[in-house]
Amino acid sequence: MNPKKTKKHNSFRSVFGWLLNTPYLIYSLIFFLIPLVWAVWLSTMDWNLMSKEKKFIGFDNFIRLFKDDKIRASFVNSYRYLVPIVLLCFLFGLLIATLVHHLPDKIKGFTAVLFFIPYLTSGVATSVIVKYFFSYNSVFNRFLRDTFDLDIKWLQNETVAFAVIVGIIVWKMSGYYALFILSGIEGIPEEVNEASKLDGSTGFHKLIHITLPMITPTLTTVIVLAAGLAFGIFTEPYLLTGGGPNLATTTWQLEIYNTSFTRFQSGYGAAIAIANAVQIFITIRLISFLMNKLNKRFGW
Amino acid sequence: MKKRLSLKTVIVIIVTYALLAVSLFPYYYMITQSLMPWDQVDKKIFSRELTLRSYDYLLHTGGASNSLMWVKALLNSFLVSFPTAVISVVVGLFVGYSMTKLKFKGKGFIYNSLLFQMFFPVIILLVPRFMLMKSLSNSYTGMILPMAISIWAIFMYINYFKTLPNALFEAARMDGAGDFTIIRKIAFPVTKSVSTIVFLSTFMGRWTELMWDMLISPDIQMQTLNVLISTQFKPMGNFPGPMYAASVILTTPIIILFLCFSKHFKDGISFMLK
Repeated sequence: MNPKKTKKHNSFRSVFGWLLNTPYLIYSLIFFLIPLVWAVWLSTMDWNLMSKEKKFIGFDNFIRLFKDDKIRASFVNSYRYLVPIVLLCFLFGLLIATLVHHLPDKIKGFTAVLFFIPYLTSGVATSVIVKYFFSYNSVFNRFLRDTFDLDIKWLQNETVAFAVIVGIIVWKMSGYYALFILSGIEGIPEEVNEASKLDGSTGFHKLIHITLPMITPTLTTVIVLAAGLAFGIFTEPYLLTGGGPNLATTTWQLEIYNTSFTRFQSGYGAAIAIANAVQIFITIRLISFLMNKLNKRFGW
Repeated sequence: MKKRLSLKTVIVIIVTYALLAVSLFPYYYMITQSLMPWDQVDKKIFSRELTLRSYDYLLHTGGASNSLMWVKALLNSFLVSFPTAVISVVVGLFVGYSMTKLKFKGKGFIYNSLLFQMFFPVIILLVPRFMLMKSLSNSYTGMILPMAISIWAIFMYINYFKTLPNALFEAARMDGAGDFTIIRKIAFPVTKSVSTIVFLSTFMGRWTELMWDMLISPDIQMQTLNVLISTQFKPMGNFPGPMYAASVILTTPIIILFLCFSKHFKDGISFMLK
């Protein structure tokens, strides 16, 4: 091949490479870069979403964040959601994966897929049905009133409302994470299993000392994913509780949505979103860091 | 010789399926209630007489001037989710292929931009995206475009292409195949399992999206099924049958899609972790 041709070929290759990336690049410019700069600019404005007038107020929006009860509640709630959701998803995921792993090969894949079905449910369907189930005139509540003379306002109770939302999410996500953990467990080489059998390590001992350390990379993925999920909760509190009672179930997403689009304080909404992003970034980094430490210490 | 199941296996099977039954019970409940005669909804969990009245209600009743609004909503959901999933697959395939199998100037820049977006919380972009698309509200374009590309999907393709030998593509190039031909005849067929998982996941993600669709399509004729359900059923209603029926219609298409492709899907999941 002569050099001239090669050069021409390479420049064509380059054009082709960029051509393949053009849709992505245009998308990123319009729906990522421009909105990003715009959001930062908006966060310094006092603006009501509709009017042409915006007032520059510098860092006032960010200062206001620290005095806002709703923001404090979202901040605290994000961790209140994070801990039980990560723990329960992890435990149920591990339980399902361990069970499925011990099934005969023939029905293994099929069963794992069935456990996955709740993941496919729209949060809207679950929320609407759960809300109906707990409403004053529902069969369940009428039954409690008629037989036990109990009148419980489920979703108006801080603890119950919070538990219901956590429950919905754990139910929905466990089967999904179980698939990840299952793949991790199935990926453990046969020799390791045989060696552990020779050493007499079985059951719970094996789980703690062999299985879990062997799959720490998978667990890291699962925990980071579940943490990201816990920070992104919107549909369930939006439809079930509206963030109440007393802000017990509110989330960042809900506050950002309400501030920007129902209270029309869109500049402030942008500032809240930035604060939220910083918090997510730091938390996820921290979790990855801790999981890496764990991996180094106990992993193989 | 037939292998006999050990006692341990039998116990595992029983426990597993008991747990599965609990986890899938809401589906059983939702489906049976959607088929119950209206005076029995929520009062029984099993009935001999079943009726399609709840579905019939959705088909014929709507708000005052919105007959067929449920049918329209289902159609809207498809018309929004399907293009989104197709675009995610095509763009993912293009970017994934070019990032791993082509050498060109500026590749590093694009890769860094992808990495930056991967872990970026999209919620920051909500208000500006809404401002950008406001003039396209109540249109399919306005609903599809801002969520059409999935960075996650792109990384799925990048990671998968990384595992494929370059020789596969080089050989075709030596035979004189053009670049588009290579993508169509080689890259697309060999990434089938990733394409399946990307298509299904982005389809489902779009199908169940609530926040953006609420903002951009306030018009009831342009709402997706997901949004319409969230606005139409209030817990005060005395006849919840249609609520269950609508939920069934919202959930089943996704489940059927996943079950149809579950074989490819499993390949995809096990790859996701490698």
